[in-house]
Amino acid sequence: MKYMILSYASQQDYDEMSGKDAGRGAWSGEELAAMTTFMTTVNKELEESGELVETRGLAAPVHTRRVGLRDGVPYVTDGPYAETQEVLAGYWIVECESFDRALEIAGRLGQCPAPEGTYASAYADIRPIMESAADMGF
Amino acid sequence: MDVSASEDLLRELAPQVLGAVVRRYGHFDLAEDAVQEALLAAATQWPRDGVPDDPRAWLVTVAARRLTDLLRAEQARRRREDTVAARALPDDWLSPPADRPAPASDDTLVLLFMCCHPSLSPPSQLALTLRAVGGLTTAEIARAFMVSEATMTRRITRAKQRVKDSGVPFRLPGAAERAQRTGAVLHVLYLIFNEGYASTSGPDLHRAELAAEAIRLARVVHRLLPDDPEAAGLLALMLLTDARRPARTGRDGALVPMAEQDRTLWNAAFIAEGVELVTNALSRGAPGPYQLQAAIAALHDEAPTAEETDWPQITALYELLMRGTDNPMIALNHAVAVAMARGPGAGLDLLDGLAGDERLSGDHRLYAVRAHLLEMSGDDEGARTAYKEAAERAMSLPQQRYLHARAARLEPDVPDGDPDPA
Repeated sequence: MKYMILSYASQQDYDEMSGKDAGRGAWSGEELAAMTTFMTTVNKELEESGELVETRGLAAPVHTRRVGLRDGVPYVTDGPYAETQEVLAGYWIVECESFDRALEIAGRLGQCPAPEGTYASAYADIRPIMESAADMGF
Repeated sequence: MDVSASEDLLRELAPQVLGAVVRRYGHFDLAEDAVQEALLAAATQWPRDGVPDDPRAWLVTVAARRLTDLLRAEQARRRREDTVAARALPDDWLSPPADRPAPASDDTLVLLFMCCHPSLSPPSQLALTLRAVGGLTTAEIARAFMVSEATMTRRITRAKQRVKDSGVPFRLPGAAERAQRTGAVLHVLYLIFNEGYASTSGPDLHRAELAAEAIRLARVVHRLLPDDPEAAGLLALMLLTDARRPARTGRDGALVPMAEQDRTLWNAAFIAEGVELVTNALSRGAPGPYQLQAAIAALHDEAPTAEETDWPQITALYELLMRGTDNPMIALNHAVAVAMARGPGAGLDLLDGLAGDERLSGDHRLYAVRAHLLEMSGDDEGARTAYKEAAERAMSLPQQRYLHARAARLEPDVPDGDPDPA
């Protein structure tokens, strides 16, 4: 079974990682390097165990554009998110033997080092992926 | 023979063997699988039993045998075997005359031209070249391009199918077409190199390996086309650019701009080789874009300090480069060179002209260059604003951190005590 692990962050988190003080202080080079090393290691482990299907990080929320439809005409707006609003920041697609294993992987990802306070409220969502119409009960 | 020497030999032989098998039997797609299996057999047997006297012939024989197996396993077995039999040229039934030169190197070149066929999209050309000529596994290529292995497998399979459908014969194109197609071959190698070099973010080894692979393939092409000045220029450009890699990032992965790099870390052997290559190539008439870019890189690499860089010469080379192309990044680099040669004001004037270019107006690099030039001219406040604007537009974390750090350096000194008198 494949599972999608979704991780969340706010524009504020992105700003602080980019070296800008957005209220709680900017990340130092060492803090960023610790995160990169941790993520590289875990992703490599998942790759070697054959469980990693794909993983991507998303650019900061400020680079988001929202497209809607008004009177039948598409319109585009800039940054629909408030600075502190948690939005999707990246995802992993893993293929593993059980939901429990997917939760274990997400738990391990949650141990990523970060400046104190940043991850106090961090969480991830894990959702099974439907492979076919049959999976959905049609 | 130790394992890594054996791996080098296999990598060197892989395209020659694939070329020989395709030339003899056709079936590019199946031949590729057969050669992979022959290489795998060699990788396990040679370290144990020793390398055979003629390793290339050994591999061709094993791959050909495997190809026959694969063809037999196919549904239309009879028909395909007939095809193979019909494709065996009279030459293959007889032993070759003693004075016939070994076709090995030509096969590699034909393979390269085949992988860079115009009917393929650039990503497919890249993938197929790395797989067939570079001998990288699909998993390695997928990791380097950050896509899943399944996606890369589909891309390579489609590319092989397309080569098959287009009915490209396995031979070098004629002289006129070859000149045109050499451009595509060089461009693909250039893209592979850039993928490995320019987009490096953080300590990602796979990408560094990609740059090394591009250099290895550029060496092969230069050896096969020794009279092509652009092939020499491209190899020189890669060597002269890659020479700076060890000084490009700090210990924590942060970007270090060229002016602040520790030049003693630069790869002196690569610089010497690159300079010699580009000097020889430039003596052969009107230089193409790879030679010009290599000449610019050589001037940077040869300067003992950032201050002693020959900026007037670099400006002139960018002007030559701009004549042949309408590339906004070249115009931006030209503006930097002008600023360094004639002062920041001259560079800022050129930037004003570029700001109207839609391809550049939202790009963080335009703001970053403006920030640097404003800082040079002593306008700290304007520079700080421009660094921040650049950081907002940049997408990569190391770039953002670099730009924020520059902005922070220009913060006005806060006097001791009460920072806010109001």
